[in-house]
Amino acid sequence: MKNEIKIITKNWGQINPRRIEEYISAGGYVALKKFIEKMTPQSAVEEIKISGLCGRGGAGFSTGVKLESVQKEPASSADGEKYFICNLDESEPGTYKDRSIVDNDPHLLLEGIIISSLIIGAKKTFIYINGNYRKQAEILGQAVEQAREKKFIGEKILNSKYNLDIEIFSGAGAYICGEETALINSIEGNRGEPKMRPPFPTQCGLFGRPTAVNNAETIANIPWIILNGGKAYAKIGSKKSPGTKLFIINGAVKNPCVAEVPLGVKLEDLIEKYAGGMQEGKEFWFAQVGGSSGRLVLQKDLKMKMEYDRDGKIPLGSGAILVVDKTMDIHELLLSWASFFRRESCGKCAPCREGTFRLYEIAQRLKDGEISERDKTALEDILWTLRNTSFCPLGKFAATAFSDAIEKLKLLQKYE
Amino acid sequence: MQIKINNKKYKTENEETIFGVCARNKIKIPGLCGMKDFHEGVCRICVVECGGRLMTSCNTEIREGMEIITESENISRARRINLELLWADHAGKCATCKKNQLCELQKLAEEYKIENFHFVPRKGEMTSREELDLVRDNWSRVVTENENPCVSRNSEFCVECRRCVNICPEKKFGFNYRAGDVVVGTPYEKVLDCGFCGECVRVCPTAALTDQNDFFKIIKDLDDLRKFSIAILDWEISEKIFDQIKNITAEKDLKKILFDLGFEKIINLEEKDKDREDEIIKNIKTDYAQKEKINPKNIKTFFISSKIHKKAEKNEHLDYILSEREAARLVRDKEKMIEGKIKI
Repeated sequence: MKNEIKIITKNWGQINPRRIEEYISAGGYVALKKFIEKMTPQSAVEEIKISGLCGRGGAGFSTGVKLESVQKEPASSADGEKYFICNLDESEPGTYKDRSIVDNDPHLLLEGIIISSLIIGAKKTFIYINGNYRKQAEILGQAVEQAREKKFIGEKILNSKYNLDIEIFSGAGAYICGEETALINSIEGNRGEPKMRPPFPTQCGLFGRPTAVNNAETIANIPWIILNGGKAYAKIGSKKSPGTKLFIINGAVKNPCVAEVPLGVKLEDLIEKYAGGMQEGKEFWFAQVGGSSGRLVLQKDLKMKMEYDRDGKIPLGSGAILVVDKTMDIHELLLSWASFFRRESCGKCAPCREGTFRLYEIAQRLKDGEISERDKTALEDILWTLRNTSFCPLGKFAATAFSDAIEKLKLLQKYE
Repeated sequence: MQIKINNKKYKTENEETIFGVCARNKIKIPGLCGMKDFHEGVCRICVVECGGRLMTSCNTEIREGMEIITESENISRARRINLELLWADHAGKCATCKKNQLCELQKLAEEYKIENFHFVPRKGEMTSREELDLVRDNWSRVVTENENPCVSRNSEFCVECRRCVNICPEKKFGFNYRAGDVVVGTPYEKVLDCGFCGECVRVCPTAALTDQNDFFKIIKDLDDLRKFSIAILDWEISEKIFDQIKNITAEKDLKKILFDLGFEKIINLEEKDKDREDEIIKNIKTDYAQKEKINPKNIKTFFISSKIHKKAEKNEHLDYILSEREAARLVRDKEKMIEGKIKI
């Protein structure tokens, strides 16, 4: 493919991720030097705002606005502390983009983290990593040590006035801890469950201090923006959400992969060009965009543009794409979604705690092919209450894929 | 600030919640998890509609120009489904329950006319072995604990409202496990060991936390004509008892009510006795044994008090400690017996 724009994956496979020297000789930590020598936090945030970069974790909130609001937030406590947190608690089924970033280029992520932390004025930064990512935690730990030796982290970074300490905090592998308030609870030592918003973490986050929580992939874009400017970034990809995105294409495709593609690409192209099309003898049925909590895309909608759009029908989520062919046992898939959410609900609010449990029961009966009239109304009721009354997005996500499957694939038709 | 509730304008103060404004203006919103100062928003029953979206009223702060609706088809649907979901996981043993007719879940269930076991598969509907395993697995997590002297715990009745977790001054309760397996428990699932202030029992909406007592023995001793039963009333208990029984009896004289229950003598402790209550109680049995010329073994003393930690300190001078809730339960059962509804 010609004219490929690579921001995050430019070093993948080219350098040894364990050695900081190779990253530096590939042009690493230049952005950090530029930021320290030539920019102020205010001008840097302005560049990020111009770039139009938005959160890659799923919500698609503008990164510039988020960083600016923490930057402007008056320090609420006497010590004037602010925190930056890198969200590496990647646990959406079928998603491994953040893991790939750490595996291939940990220093890119680290550079992004350092710049973002300095922008908001944080002196302490946490990298919240999924508890199952043991190897990645080790790679990151090594990277932090190397960066500390080179004076990219620590006191008086590169002989400037900036100080920063980075701590790697390993979670316990709970899906809910990817939600920012639950993540903050987890670092504070509390049970990993969401908190009421407002107050938003940008005002009152970790230990009551203003806190910015950003997804690892989002942060990995920041060195490029600092180096090349916001305007250059805004030209890449779609107008609504500029930049590139890591897509993880799985399922019945020839060549499952992680691909960095400018946003605004058609789903069809992703499957055909990047993943090599469908496997031999398999017929496309639908694709699920955004992991277990994602919506389903049928053949007729394959031309949809992949971009972060508040009014868009199909949210991108984490960027995981599961391609399903017609030989798939759909009931098995439904059961796996239901069991995932039954296991991963934190148990805080009634609709999610009890609803996901009952949903799992019904999915099991659906698989056995014997659901009753009562089950059908119960299913409708559960999905409705999950969508409308659950405490945090997890409950809402639990219902999306399920209701989509029932609606679009007409699963309950034979019971009518 | 000014907001609209059900198309009527209301003045509000800063940092008030929707629930707070409604409570102040006597607009009824049901709820199961909230209590004074603590609003977790976990039961999702207090939902109201604002701008076409459902939101919990108890922890949503008001904003200028909000237009809130407190009753609509969607709202009652949400409340009904969430109640049904909670009920499906509830023991539902109302007839024998200690909290029968005092239970908040039961009251709401009645109010919203819920189908109690809408989500629970019937015997004929269970298809696979896994299903049965699941049910078994779910029930295996039920915690019943009667080993501590004061508080009886049974998670079968629990609706995970977190009132006990929030109110406990010693932070003895917390959540164990996750998702549908969540259970309110003690650290490392040890026997509850605390100062037994009884606050958790007071706030529990269901019978998950109740007073520990041998109720049948109490009734037997009260009804036994050979036994001389003395009630010792703590100094500010009578109001609390009346608060508990206001819906049950029209009788306003506590003395008469207690005599009806089978007590032979009532002693009121006064405020000045606060520090000497142990001393007073110690002498009661010997005093009455001399006065009434009965064997001290046939005298039974009942201390009616909110200090349920006393239950741990039973001795030969003091046979039973009853909280205001248990006294109310005695009254309630008596009333029903007179009406001929139940047999004890």
